[in-house]
Amino acid sequence: MSLEHAVEMRGISKRFGNVQALNGVDLELRRGELLGLVGDNAAGKSTLMKTLYGSVIPDAGEIFVEGQKAALRNPRDAQALGLAMIYQDLAVFNNLDVAANVFTGREYTRRVLGITFLDKKRMYNESEALLSRLRINISSPKLLVERMSGGQRQMVAVARAIGFDATILIMDEPTAALGVKEANTLLDLMAELRDQGISIILITHRITDVLSIGDRVMVLKGGERQGILNVEDSTLEDVEYLIVRGRSDGSG
Amino acid sequence: MTANQTPAARVESARARVRELMAHRESGVFLALVVFFVVMYTVSPIFRRPFNLTTILRQISVTSIVAMGQTLVIVSGAFDLSQGSIAGLAAMVTAKLWKNAGLDPPIAIIGGLGVGVLCGFLNGVLAARFRLHPIVMTLATGAVFLGVNFYITRGESIIGLPDGLTWLGRGLIGPVPALIVLMFVVAFLMHILLTRTLFGLRVRMIGGNLKASQDVGMNVERIRVGIFTLSGFLSALGGIVLLGRVGNALPQIGQGLLFPVVTAAIVGGTLLTGGVGSMAGTLIGAAIMGIARNSLVVLQLNIYLQDIVQGMLVVVALLIDQFRRGELNWRIILGRDR
Repeated sequence: MSLEHAVEMRGISKRFGNVQALNGVDLELRRGELLGLVGDNAAGKSTLMKTLYGSVIPDAGEIFVEGQKAALRNPRDAQALGLAMIYQDLAVFNNLDVAANVFTGREYTRRVLGITFLDKKRMYNESEALLSRLRINISSPKLLVERMSGGQRQMVAVARAIGFDATILIMDEPTAALGVKEANTLLDLMAELRDQGISIILITHRITDVLSIGDRVMVLKGGERQGILNVEDSTLEDVEYLIVRGRSDGSG
Repeated sequence: MTANQTPAARVESARARVRELMAHRESGVFLALVVFFVVMYTVSPIFRRPFNLTTILRQISVTSIVAMGQTLVIVSGAFDLSQGSIAGLAAMVTAKLWKNAGLDPPIAIIGGLGVGVLCGFLNGVLAARFRLHPIVMTLATGAVFLGVNFYITRGESIIGLPDGLTWLGRGLIGPVPALIVLMFVVAFLMHILLTRTLFGLRVRMIGGNLKASQDVGMNVERIRVGIFTLSGFLSALGGIVLLGRVGNALPQIGQGLLFPVVTAAIVGGTLLTGGVGSMAGTLIGAAIMGIARNSLVVLQLNIYLQDIVQGMLVVVALLIDQFRRGELNWRIILGRDR
């Protein structure tokens, strides 16, 4: 097992009824890289990532995280290995403030007379520090998430994942519902995270996003891997060709 | 504010502060309460008598205490429609423990509170473990609790209660009626619970986004059981205070409590969809309802108007809520939203 890879997936297959969603897919995510995962609808992108995150159990194949074979039965197993997935339908609490969202599930507390009180001050301070470390532009950790834009909510979800010491981030179409400006801010944040050493897989329909900030791009079609291209020496046309036509050599 | 600010900057910073203040959900209802109070204070000499003002506080105390429990339940995304029945059952058990079992009043009160805890726990288990819909489920358990009440009392009242049983409803702490002190203590403790403790945060989480709460791996069942148990306890406490206010133990005690309780929570800004609500808001909501009721008396209007006023206030509160959440606007009302 190469330690160069944060994640290595080998021969992942998954069948839903009579649909072969994934067919022997390999994926290598290098440490500290931003890998785009592209393909048409029903190409198997989300299913592949769900197997990595433990929310879909593959019929066949192996997954290695940081060189160790991983038995992923549910997302909590994945989280324990430093993985975090941010879905399109964000699991944020709109009725709570930023700090409460960042610390969801691992709140700082103090026990007084047998009652567990929240250590709000510490959570505010630490989320403020986290936001500024990630250069996330949210003015205060006391802001209610329901007052925020879609992009800011994504960033709160990212901050939460990173706050959980995630080193591998999976993002499923994060920019799909955002305006151009917000999408760019989020892409900047992802580039920033990558530069801070986080390994990122970005599922997206916007190939230009991957080409502008990504390192490599992997193409799926019909549940099979068509190839991994280096962003540096690839054009939009190269990627689109693979998405639409698949491998030109026709080999398995 | 510094002296060298330009007038425009000063206006802007004042505006910012007003905006910040108005961002609190309670601000609107609090403003309504103040306006209502000032108007009544100005127009009615009877209203502003200290005795009348204490009367209002005494009248809203039971409603408020029980409404604190309801607020917790609604914030968690559920409802507890059995509160009135729990209050009645707890009150009657308390009276019977004293009268028939010969227990000292304080012990009898603890027994009554225990009954409330038990009823609430049962609701919690049915809602959490058996996944029953809280509205219909608590309507049903409420019928059961009321039935148990009438079954054990055979519908008969217990006339003449000792001071020990009525003190919570009639006693004084210094110059202040005990139940008013109790109302503020309960409100304060519930406020701390909802805003400062892990349990309170969990309540707001499951009410705000149940699926995400489950994903985080929190024990939703246990929290739900805790919420309903607390609601049962506060209902019982309200019932026992009511026992003291009435002075006799009437089996129908607590009936008619539910509507003002839910009203106080809703008028106070608690979102029916869960996740949002505050004890301060509920207290303000109860106060608005209390003043409304009192106004009818001091202005010598027909007291039967109170149901109409109360019902209309709820409708107005719901409308305001729809507007605030953006679910409703004038275009929709005027039918132009096509």
